[in-house]
Amino acid sequence: MRNRPRLYVSYASEMALLPTWTQKVAALVFLVFLVLIPFGVIPGLGFLADNDWLKILSRVSIFAIGALGLHLLSGLAGQVSLGHAFFVGIGAYTAAILGGEVGKGTWGLGLPIWIWLPAAGIVAALIGALIAPTAVRVRGIYLAIVTLGLVFVGEWLFRSLPFITGGAQAGRKFPTFEFRFWQEEVPFLDFTSDGPWFGIQMTSEAKIYILLLVFVIIAVIIAKNIQRTRVGRAFMSIRDRDIAAEVMGVADTKHKVMAFALSSALAGVTGALMGAFVGRLVPEGFSLFLSIQFVAALLIGGIGTVTGTLLGATFVLVLPRVVQDLTGLLASTAQTGSGWTAAVANFFVSTAEGDPGIVSTLPGTSPGLNIAQFNLLLYGLLLIAFLIFEPLGLYGIWIRIRNYWKSWPFTY
Amino acid sequence: MTSTLERTGEVDLTGAYRTVSLMVRERAHATPDAVAMRHKDFGIWQERTWAELWEEIVIAAHGFIALGMQHGDVVSIHSEDRPEWVIADLAAVAIRAMSTGLYPTNPMAEVQYLVNDSGAKIHVAEDQEQVDKIVDAGPDAFPNVKKIIYIEPRGLRSDEDERLLFWEDFMDLGRAHREEHPGTVAATMAEAEPDDIATLVYTSGTTGPPKGAMLSNRNASFAIENIILAEGRTADGKMPGPHDMVLTYLPLGHVAERVMSTWTMCSSGVVLNFAESIETVQANLQEIQPTLFFAVPRIWEKIHATILIKLNDATFVKRLVNGLGFNLAAYIGRSRAKNNGNYTFGARLAYWFGNIIMFRALKERVGLRRCRWAGTSAAPIAPEVIEFFMGFGVPMVELYGMTENSAVATLNFHGRIKVGTVGEPYPGIGLRLDEETGEIQTKHDGNFLGYWNKPEATAETFTDDGWLKTGDVGVWVDGTHLKIIDRIKHIIITSGGKNISPSEIENSLKTSPYIKEAMVIGDGRKYLTALIAIEYDVVGNWALSKSIPYTTYHDLSSKPEVIELVQGIVDKTNEKFARVEQIKKFRMIPKELDHEDGELTATQKIKRKAMEDMFSDLVADMYGS
Repeated sequence: MRNRPRLYVSYASEMALLPTWTQKVAALVFLVFLVLIPFGVIPGLGFLADNDWLKILSRVSIFAIGALGLHLLSGLAGQVSLGHAFFVGIGAYTAAILGGEVGKGTWGLGLPIWIWLPAAGIVAALIGALIAPTAVRVRGIYLAIVTLGLVFVGEWLFRSLPFITGGAQAGRKFPTFEFRFWQEEVPFLDFTSDGPWFGIQMTSEAKIYILLLVFVIIAVIIAKNIQRTRVGRAFMSIRDRDIAAEVMGVADTKHKVMAFALSSALAGVTGALMGAFVGRLVPEGFSLFLSIQFVAALLIGGIGTVTGTLLGATFVLVLPRVVQDLTGLLASTAQTGSGWTAAVANFFVSTAEGDPGIVSTLPGTSPGLNIAQFNLLLYGLLLIAFLIFEPLGLYGIWIRIRNYWKSWPFTY
Repeated sequence: MTSTLERTGEVDLTGAYRTVSLMVRERAHATPDAVAMRHKDFGIWQERTWAELWEEIVIAAHGFIALGMQHGDVVSIHSEDRPEWVIADLAAVAIRAMSTGLYPTNPMAEVQYLVNDSGAKIHVAEDQEQVDKIVDAGPDAFPNVKKIIYIEPRGLRSDEDERLLFWEDFMDLGRAHREEHPGTVAATMAEAEPDDIATLVYTSGTTGPPKGAMLSNRNASFAIENIILAEGRTADGKMPGPHDMVLTYLPLGHVAERVMSTWTMCSSGVVLNFAESIETVQANLQEIQPTLFFAVPRIWEKIHATILIKLNDATFVKRLVNGLGFNLAAYIGRSRAKNNGNYTFGARLAYWFGNIIMFRALKERVGLRRCRWAGTSAAPIAPEVIEFFMGFGVPMVELYGMTENSAVATLNFHGRIKVGTVGEPYPGIGLRLDEETGEIQTKHDGNFLGYWNKPEATAETFTDDGWLKTGDVGVWVDGTHLKIIDRIKHIIITSGGKNISPSEIENSLKTSPYIKEAMVIGDGRKYLTALIAIEYDVVGNWALSKSIPYTTYHDLSSKPEVIELVQGIVDKTNEKFARVEQIKKFRMIPKELDHEDGELTATQKIKRKAMEDMFSDLVADMYGS
C-alpha cells in the first residue's frame, strides 16, 4: 500500500526482498555505485579503482560468498562450525582437478569454467551432506570441536595428496577466469588480460572485479531467498530451539543436513574462485585461521543477517590494508614529524632495529609485531569486543542508528 | 465475478428504495474488483473485494430465508467487529429483516434481556464464549431463538445443542437455497420500504434497562446524506470515497460506529479495516493510517496520555526537540481554537517548522498522519484534548448526535470550528432548545420510529408537537454553535441552589494521563466531591519510577503518594473553576470499574446511580456523616 509501509495485504509483499520503494531505490543506487568503482569516477573514492584496491575488493567478493555459506549454517540454522575452511579446500581442489592443467606430478582435466565452478559447489555439498549426519548428533561447543577436527583432517589430507594439491609448501596452479565452450585454444570471454569491453578499455583486475560482483550478487539472492522461504524459517526455528522446532513438525536432521550441504556448496564455490583468482594456493592455506576469519566476519558483521555478513566480510578483508596504510602513515609521522604527534606515532610503530613499538614496518627481527601478526591480534580483540558490547555486530550498530530515527520523536 | 453479479441481478432494482444493502450491490456492479474491506488474519490484512462481499451478503441473505426469516424478523449479532458482522447486518437489511448488535462485554443476564426483548429468531455469536452465554442459560431461557450461528468453531461442535449452526454450514445452506430459489433476495430488495426497520440499536441504559431504538431505512439514508456526505466536512472538501481508509474497532452495535464505518462504506465506498481487537487499536492504527478516523473521548484521552508519556520517556536530545515541538503545538492549538480552526500566518509558520522537527513523525507513530478528518462524539470531551490534537495538525472536530435521531444533530464544519462546542446544526434540519429547560430537541427524517415494543417510553421521548427530546441541555454560542452543558438528569443542584454540570469538571480531571475515570457528586449537598479512578498502568509506571512498591490496583490507589499525586491534579483543575464548582474532597475508587460488575455500561459510561450506591460508604465519608 502506498504511504503505508506497515500495511501488508499478502505474505508475498511482507516477504519481499525490498518491500518499500525507498529500499528499491537505495539498492539500485548502491549497485550502480559498486559497478562504477573500477572506472574511478566516484568523487572521493577514485582510489578504489587502483589495481591493488580492486584486488582487495575482489577478495571481499570471493570471501563474502563463503561467508554467506557460513551464514546459512551458523547464522540461520544455528550450527556453529569451525570447519568451513575444509569445504573451501574441497571446492578449490575440485576446481583444480577438473579445470587445472596437468602439471609436474599433479592431475588436471582442463575442463571449462562452467563445469569446474558448479562442480566445486556440488562436490563440497556432497561431502558436507556426507559428514553432516555425524555432526548433527552434537550441538553447540561439541559441534564446534567436531568441525574443528575436520579442519585438521583436511589439512593433513591436502598435504598428503600431492598429485591433487601439489604438496606442502609447493601448491599447484589453478584454472583461470577464461570462458570456453570446451577445450578450444581461444576463450570466447577472457578476464585474464587487459583490453576493451564494449569499447571501454578495462584492466584484467577490473574485469575480474565485475565478474565476481555478479557472482556475489547471485549468492546474496540465493541466501536471501533461502532465508525468507520455508527452508529458511525451518533453519531459524531449529536455531531458536531444535526440540521446539521438531514439535512443530520441522524435520530436524533433514534441515541440519540441508544447512550443511548448502553452506558447503557456497564454501566450495569460494574455494574454486579463490584458486582461480590467486592462481596458486598451498594446502596450508585451508587452515583453522581461514575458518576463524569466516567466523569473525559473521560475528563482527552481525550474525543472522545477510547485510551483516557482507559488512563483516568487507571489514575482515579491508582491515589489514587499512592497518598497513595507517602503520605507514604513523611510520612517516614518527620519522619526519615533530612534537607530540611524532611521539605518539613513535610509541605505536617500530621503524628501526631496536626501536620499541607495537607494530613494526620492518620484516623479521625488530621488536613489535609485524602487520600480519598485528591483524591477528586485532581480529581477536574485535571478536571479544563485539561479542561483549555489540552482539549484533556492525549491522547491530546500524540497526541502533536506524531505530533512533525510526522511533522519532519517541524512544520506544 | 460477473457471473455472480448476473445471478443476483435477475431482478431490475432501478426503482427500489436505496437501502444500505442496495448501495453495496451497486458498488459490486460498478467496481467489482475494488477492495471493500480488510481484516487481519495470520498477520496479514486479508482483502475482500466488493464483488466478493456482495456475494457473501447474498448467500447469507439466502441462508436467513432458508432458516425461516421473514420481513420484520430480528437477527441478533453478538461479536467483536469482523466482516461477518457487517455481512449478517446487511443480509438482514436485504431481506427486510433487521439486525441488533450486542456488545461483546455484555454479561449473560444482559444478553438474555436483550435477545428476548428484541425477540430475535436467529442469534449470531462470535465464539464459544458468546455461545455459552446463550446455551448455559438452559433450553428455555430464549424461547424465540431458533438458531445460533457461530463464527469461530474453536471449542464448539454443532451437536452440542440442536440450535447450533457453524457459519460455513450456514453459508452452504444459503448457497443451496440460492440454487433452488435464485433471485429471491433481489425480489425482496425490490419491495423495500423507507419505513422498514433496518436495525434496532439498544441505548446503553445508564438508568434502567436498555431500550431498542428502531432505525428505519429512511433514518439511515438521512444520516448518510447529512453526516457522511456533509458539505464542508473536511479541509480539502473531498467527499469520502474509495481512496479513504477507515479503521473499524468500536462496537458495531453502537450507532456511532454504524454510521462511521458500515454506512460510510456502503454509501461512499471507503475501505473498512477491521482492528484485531480493542487492545491492538494503537498498533493497527499505525499499520492502516486511516484517513477518516472516529473515536470516543476515552480513546482520544488514551492516545493523548500515550503521547504525553512517551514524549516524556524519550532520550535527552529527543526530549529537547520534543519540548520545543510541544510548545509550538500548544501555540498552534490555542491559535487555531481562537480562529475557528483556521491557521493564522504565525500558526502556519510554526506548523511548517514543527512538522519538520516532530509533528509528522509523531502522527505517523500514532497512526494519524494520513488523517483528513477525525471526529469525537458519544460522550463529552475536554476542549484541551481537542486543542492538543489540533496543535499537531490532526483535523479533529467534535460532533453531536444520539441513537434516537440517527446521530444527526450538529457538526463542527471545516473553517467554522469552535472548540468546546459540538458545532452547528446540519443545514436544513430541525433543531431547537426548549425555552424553559434548555433541552435540545430535534425534528427531521433521522428521528427514530420509536422504542421496540415500548410505546409509553416512545411517547415520553417526543414532545406534543413531535420533536425528539434528547435529554441534553445546551446553550447557543454566538448564535450559531451549540454547546452541551450536560445530560438533564446529571445536572447537579447544590443545596445552595447552584446548577453545576459535572461532566465539564470530570473531563478536565480526565485530561491528566493518570486519571481514568472521575465522578463528581454534589446533588443536594453543600459542596462538591469526587470519586476518582486511576489509570492503572500509567500510575503503576509512575510508582515504579518513584520506587513506590505496590501489589494490586487497590493497594496502588490507596498509597499516600498516589493520593498526593491525584490531589495535585484536583487542585490544578479547581483553579479553572468558580468556587462553588470546586471539588472539596475526593476518594479513590478501590477497584477497577467494570461492565460486568454493573458500574459501567457496555459503552464504558459510568452508571451514576449504581456507583453512588456501591460506594455509598466513601460518599458518606466525604460528607462527614
